[in-house]
Amino acid sequence: MTMKGERFSPRIYMEENPKIRQILKIALVVVFVIIGALLVVVAIDVYTWNGFVVRASKSLVDGLALSMLLFLMVSGFFLIFGLCDVINFAHGAFFMLGGFMGFVIYIATEAVFLDPTLPFYLLFGENYFALSVVAFIVSAFGATAVLALIGGGIEFFTIRRLYGNPIAQILLTVGFMFIITQMAEIIWAPSQITFDIIQWSQISYFFISGIIDFGGGLQFDLYRIFLIFLGLAVAGLMFVGFKKTRIGLQIQAGIEDSEMVEALGTDIRKLFTIVFMLGAGLAGLSGAVLVPWIGANAGHGLTYLIFAFVIVVVGGAHYGRFEGTFFGALIVGLSMQFTAYFIPFLENIIVFIIMAIILIIRPGGLTGHA
Amino acid sequence: MKNLLEIQNTHVYIGSFYILQGISLVVPKGEVTLLLGRNGSGKTTTMKSILGIYPPKEGSIVFKGEEITNLPTHKIVNKGIGYVPDTRRIFGSLSVEQNLIVSMRKGSSRDDMQYRLDIIFELFPDMRGFMKQRAGTLSGGQQQMLAVARALMNENELLLIDEPTEGLSPLLAKNLINSLDRLKEYATILMVEQNFRAVSKLGDNFYIFDNGKIVHEGNNMDELIEDKALVAQYLGVSI
Repeated sequence: MTMKGERFSPRIYMEENPKIRQILKIALVVVFVIIGALLVVVAIDVYTWNGFVVRASKSLVDGLALSMLLFLMVSGFFLIFGLCDVINFAHGAFFMLGGFMGFVIYIATEAVFLDPTLPFYLLFGENYFALSVVAFIVSAFGATAVLALIGGGIEFFTIRRLYGNPIAQILLTVGFMFIITQMAEIIWAPSQITFDIIQWSQISYFFISGIIDFGGGLQFDLYRIFLIFLGLAVAGLMFVGFKKTRIGLQIQAGIEDSEMVEALGTDIRKLFTIVFMLGAGLAGLSGAVLVPWIGANAGHGLTYLIFAFVIVVVGGAHYGRFEGTFFGALIVGLSMQFTAYFIPFLENIIVFIIMAIILIIRPGGLTGHA
Repeated sequence: MKNLLEIQNTHVYIGSFYILQGISLVVPKGEVTLLLGRNGSGKTTTMKSILGIYPPKEGSIVFKGEEITNLPTHKIVNKGIGYVPDTRRIFGSLSVEQNLIVSMRKGSSRDDMQYRLDIIFELFPDMRGFMKQRAGTLSGGQQQMLAVARALMNENELLLIDEPTEGLSPLLAKNLINSLDRLKEYATILMVEQNFRAVSKLGDNFYIFDNGKIVHEGNNMDELIEDKALVAQYLGVSI
């Protein structure tokens, strides 16, 4: 019971009356369902039933594709933050650079395959489909490797000296964000680069123009479906890796208590470098696979860094929950694409609205403490 | 070599605090050495300086005749030191089995693991029952078993055990101490313990800490318990 003379506090009142709390919870769910249903009804009214189905299914596919892409990026951010306690402000820049690296490596690989004077020409000949797919795979792996080396190098030569000094870490990683962004602007100019504008690129044979048509306006880009499977595959791989391998278990244990992992005989510094490489590599991979869809742009660094923060906070991943990044990415990706198709003017702010609502209801995020 | 570990006149600072003010002690091979004293007297810091978590500014630490004073923690530990920390510090999100796998050092095989598990199950038969359970859901006593078991996953000659009975009920504490007594067969033990009466039959030697210095040492626990003046002055209990 509240004591006499004490100010009324809703939080304490709720804790003392679990039944009312339960009722409020149910009421909240009902309110959300009603709002959702109303939105659906309005949407059907505006776009007609057929238009609604087309838009809804497209936003579902695009939303899942974007979610998976964001998940790949954020899981790298999460690993670095979780194990090394470093908030890597340069992570968005790694992601952006991964895009340009993927682009450059793709164009170069393709040029090598297409050059009749080189022996690789015989590999594919006129089979542009196979050629572009292979060049794309090379570019994705290449961008991952380059960014892993850059991330590992930055950890080894600079951040390693600054563990336990968060202010210096923030300044340093923010500095790297600006350096990488400026370098990208100088080298590739500030404008967006996509495969479409490169006429000699063969990638459109497969990824950009590839469409699955179900009739009735239900067309899906092949590439976005591919992204969904890629994201799921990497997520599955990481999940198994964390559960079954020794190094995965060490990373998980280190996220909880890195000093103890070291006191049990693991070279924690080496593990930090490996995790930095892994995290930056994931940023590189996700940046590279973004290019055929959205393109590469020096401005992506900051935009996607902010998405990373939102996803971590919404998912509750800052409490050390890896699955939080997955759910956070799903919410951000899906909500952005659904609004893009139904309420376009909200596309860029919807994630912040959702973040505010989730933080009011569950301050610890989806998987964090209530 | 009679002494497994020798600490010579070490001075340890944590930040700007002068914690250990010239500690010298030896841990004879095959025996149990106890570090006694009030909270904040420097017992745990001594353990952590052996592990290299708080490396000494001055002085030397020699393990198996080898200087380990300024080595990084993982290298010190890999020479054969197992650590059971004071607040257990088990990895709550992992299962008990995974906690044990993480604790194994590089190059251990599946056979090594089985061999180690046999020793652990012999000491703590109850552990068989909760190998697959998430460590965070274990009771205090079970967590303490796991914390000790973790240190047994490798061929360690020296075990540093910090406050094993802290927060356990008297019965659980007694069972644990019985298990630790049998542990003497496998390794030399350096143990911090507030409840010195509970471990009196375990200890071969003891050092009493006060304000970062060793104020008394001896090798007869029964005499210590009888010495009421000493106990009242440094161990904070008067009966």
